[in-house]
Amino acid sequence: MNRFLGSSAFTLAFSYVAFGIAALVLFAAPLWYAWQVTIQESRTEILRADIQRLSEVFRREGTRGLSAFIDNRVGMQIPGERILLLTDPDLQRLAGNLPQWPAGIPAAPGTYTLPVNLSGKQTHAMFVHTVLPGGYNLLVGRDQSLFAPLAPRFWYGLGAAVAVLSIAGALGGLMIRRAVLVRVDGIRQTVLAIVQGDWSHRLPTKTTSDELDTLSRTINGMLDQLEQLLHGVRDVSNSIAHDLRTPLAELRSRLEELSLTRPGPEETFAQIDGAVADVDRVIRIFNALLRLAEIDTGMRRSGFVSVSAADIARQAVDFYLPAAELKSIVLTYRGNGPAELSGDPVLLAQAIGNLIDNALKYATDGGLITVEVQTLPDGKVWITVADDGPGIPDEEKPKVSTRFYRGDASRGTPGVGLGLTLVASVAKVHGGVLELADNNPGLRANMIIPVQAGTGAPMVAGPSTGVGQPASAGQEPTALGAAPAAHNLRIRSVS
Amino acid sequence: MKVLLVEDNERVTRFVVKGLQEAGHVADHADNGRDGMFLAASEPYDVIIMDRMLPGQIDGLAIIEALRKAGNRTPILILSALSDVDERIRGLKSGGDDYLTKPFAFGELLARLDALGRRAQGIGTQTSLRVGDLHIDLLSRKATRGARTIALQPQEFKLLEYLMRHAGQVVTRTMLLENVWDYHFDPQTNVVDVHISKLRQKIESDSERPLLRTVRNAGYMLSADE
Repeated sequence: MNRFLGSSAFTLAFSYVAFGIAALVLFAAPLWYAWQVTIQESRTEILRADIQRLSEVFRREGTRGLSAFIDNRVGMQIPGERILLLTDPDLQRLAGNLPQWPAGIPAAPGTYTLPVNLSGKQTHAMFVHTVLPGGYNLLVGRDQSLFAPLAPRFWYGLGAAVAVLSIAGALGGLMIRRAVLVRVDGIRQTVLAIVQGDWSHRLPTKTTSDELDTLSRTINGMLDQLEQLLHGVRDVSNSIAHDLRTPLAELRSRLEELSLTRPGPEETFAQIDGAVADVDRVIRIFNALLRLAEIDTGMRRSGFVSVSAADIARQAVDFYLPAAELKSIVLTYRGNGPAELSGDPVLLAQAIGNLIDNALKYATDGGLITVEVQTLPDGKVWITVADDGPGIPDEEKPKVSTRFYRGDASRGTPGVGLGLTLVASVAKVHGGVLELADNNPGLRANMIIPVQAGTGAPMVAGPSTGVGQPASAGQEPTALGAAPAAHNLRIRSVS
Repeated sequence: MKVLLVEDNERVTRFVVKGLQEAGHVADHADNGRDGMFLAASEPYDVIIMDRMLPGQIDGLAIIEALRKAGNRTPILILSALSDVDERIRGLKSGGDDYLTKPFAFGELLARLDALGRRAQGIGTQTSLRVGDLHIDLLSRKATRGARTIALQPQEFKLLEYLMRHAGQVVTRTMLLENVWDYHFDPQTNVVDVHISKLRQKIESDSERPLLRTVRNAGYMLSADE
């Protein structure tokens, strides 16, 4: 109960009841006043009309005539309703249904309300006292007891209305609590579960899109994004744990061996140079991982500008041209138009560079590498790097863009195994995908990027993405942190 | 050159100061922001090396901004563990002239310091550059060695121009990537080396004296001296 008293539902219900009662009182008070005034006036009016009539009789027929008239009327009437009394100037009764002049009514004419004993019954009555010519006193009155029950009835009615309003308010409050606060409580429970580390929970949503539902969906979208960021961090730590250990172990054994064997200066310096190279390799992996994390979390979105993918690709081709010539590889560029898109020039240059670098690594001497940038009518820019090397077997394609994966063919070539992962991440942050297809022979890597970033895979989940979406529990990253990047890779075999 | 190092890590300081002294420079150092600010503002230096995160209530970028506001134009190299592209941009926007990420190779630091120090001495608006008998005309974009005309691709010309502007200094691969190609990432393979060897073939025929030397563990140097 205490929780109920403290809840917002109670506050809400209480305020509504208070407002209701106030409205009721505002309605009843003028009514009560109008009733009192109007009824009183009309009663007095009736009595005055009576006096008028009786005065007329007195003027025409004198004391005797009026006495007869009064007695006649009193005799006809249901006793107690109309009170009539005619007295002489000394207040001695001449006619009427009162035995004597009631005590408390002064000699002066006027309207009075006072308790009287009416044929043995104590009651309230209203009197109008008139002095007729000759000093005769005429008293016309009316028993009020008939109206007496009306006032309590009015108050009872008002009280009942207030009671009904209060009960309805309390019930309403309870219902609001059930309908709304129970859901709020559900949200609280879910958030608590997430705070305790179980990211599989999502707020329950219904098909109705009331305010709470919209809020739940927005929060779910936020949770999705947070989970994605969390996975990114976890990925990086997994990758670091997994792949920085190897070069670090090499470095350690090299230094340890050096310290143990204490060879001559020439050999020592050679080993130190080797150790520096080992450290450089660690730094390179580290930088690549940080860069990937930076891209994956979508931080670079803020740096998006309008860029020409064709210019970037052409510059990359120029840059790699001498390296290609060295291997007698023909590296050419083809394109239709500037291929403007909203993106990060640094990231795009790095991604295209990685693809060319990759192709150069695997293409055989005397081979052919084609870089192609095309804007298709569907508003997407295709950046394609095709080679005629050994290609990637279909079963290996999903794996190559995962972190640190190196195919059998790449053994003995330089690189840390993050190249295609980075390309896939760059495509993703631009709202696009990386597609690996067969070039028959060779590999055809397509970065497919929408001209307007964000029309593809949104980084910030809108309200609609939360609906019916199963919690991402199944996307637990593998030890290699493979899952998130692999989402963005499409495999197509052209045969 | 007189160099100021503002850096709070003792080991990095020792390593850099020793290296600078061996290279023939004079090095002062401050291990917190306040002292760094005081020294930078009161002493004339040729180059300042500034760490970003410093003890003493004032960080590296704030010092740079304050110096620039006070009209101090000493070239500043920012040395930082913050490696994001955005951080780099912030560093340069605050008034820094170059940005080097930790961990770094000493050769890289030295090469960049040399480049900054020379730049401050002012190249002015030169229209031609000369190293020994190698000459380039920046207006007509023509290169000659002695009487021989060298045919260069635009990209090769840009590379040669950069090397000639920094003649007698070590130029690292990263500096070339950043300044000639505007690439701020590691292209994995040794593409820069290939560009250099191609350029070398063009500017040094068999009978001519070598000008473009490879400096082990650092980079390249274009120089007419033996």
